[in-house]
Amino acid sequence: MSIYGKYEPTLERILNELLTRLENLNSDYQARNGQNLFEHLNGRIKTNASMVEKCQRKNLPVNVNSALRINRDSIGIRIVCNFIDDIYTCIDLLETMPDITVVTKKDYITNAKKNGYRSYHMILDMTVPEVDVDGNQPGHYFVEIQLRTIAMDTWASLEHEMKYKHDIKNPELISQELKRVADELASCDISLQTIRQLIREEN
Amino acid sequence: MRILLAEDEPQLNRVVKVALESVGYQVDTVFDGEQAISAAKSNPYDVIILDIMMPVLDGIEVLKQIRANGDKTYVMMLTAKAEIDDRVIGLESGADDYLTKPFSLKELIARLRSRERRDAEYQVTEMDYSDLHLNTDQQELVAHNSIRLASKEVDLLSYLILNSEKAISNQEILDHVWKDDPLADSELVWIYISYLRQKMTSIGSKVKIIGEKNGEFVLTK
Repeated sequence: MSIYGKYEPTLERILNELLTRLENLNSDYQARNGQNLFEHLNGRIKTNASMVEKCQRKNLPVNVNSALRINRDSIGIRIVCNFIDDIYTCIDLLETMPDITVVTKKDYITNAKKNGYRSYHMILDMTVPEVDVDGNQPGHYFVEIQLRTIAMDTWASLEHEMKYKHDIKNPELISQELKRVADELASCDISLQTIRQLIREEN
Repeated sequence: MRILLAEDEPQLNRVVKVALESVGYQVDTVFDGEQAISAAKSNPYDVIILDIMMPVLDGIEVLKQIRANGDKTYVMMLTAKAEIDDRVIGLESGADDYLTKPFSLKELIARLRSRERRDAEYQVTEMDYSDLHLNTDQQELVAHNSIRLASKEVDLLSYLILNSEKAISNQEILDHVWKDDPLADSELVWIYISYLRQKMTSIGSKVKIIGEKNGEFVLTK
């Protein structure tokens, strides 16, 4: 039996609905502006094994309440954009959805982490027709959204790889270089966006 | 190079200006200490030549005030007296070189040329302005976050920091930052100003570059 119990099908449905909704948003935007709002989209339900592991790591009882209420990343979506501006456009569009309330926002683009990590994190509370873990109907489910540029996404995947590799010979030097490259990529992201704005101002 | 000449004797002022312009320098002239301070505040100079004996404020006082304002421009003192004390006070107050009157124009020009050669080789690697810290060697700009700049962005920002609070023209920027690039123009300057503005914002700095395309630019808090 999964830690998500009878709520698992609802998680799947919410994930699929949000992915479809975001894809539609992108096609509408594409039709209107001739440009993508985002470059690609990933979504996942956190696996049973990693949710159980997370509860144990945080000293939480391994039950559905911990999985769906205390931890808020059972449903996760990553939106990867071409330009920094597009990230903020996506955020605005998400915030206008009537069945969605933003619970928390963390802007690690404006406030980059010490290691150079840049990304925008949001926790959403989505109202759905199905019952939730507290017995409410309509129910409330948390969804974690991460938004980044392609450059930030590439950087994060390499940093993630390093974090789980324990036999790196010179971790300080590698961390220092990763931080430098994060700042160079950020610089390129901003240059690209500046050029796009200058081109648009001319038209 | 752009030079400020502060010399109260009209004839000497004129002769030096003509001589320096004849070898390709741009020369602004003033005739007393107060004018010298105000010119140094509003224009970016590569060298300031100060006569010690001047009305209103003497050269030493001007030098002290210029340095107190954080201006690191190369300063050459002109002194009528050959007394060692005068030269020592000048150098101690922040002058970089001196010439004793009467001096030969040849020698003055030779010293300026030597200065110019050295300028090309000598680079400061750490610069601070308000909440900005620029490491020109690492090309790293730090405020609330950090970012890496392209080399021309570093050159442009260093020039603006060295001349902060002053209105700098497109031409002055081109002469200093793109001096070896004959194709560079005000369009290019504008793109780099735009890069710097957005990069400064992205790291949470409050420093601003004020100015419009094709106009003058001022780096300010």
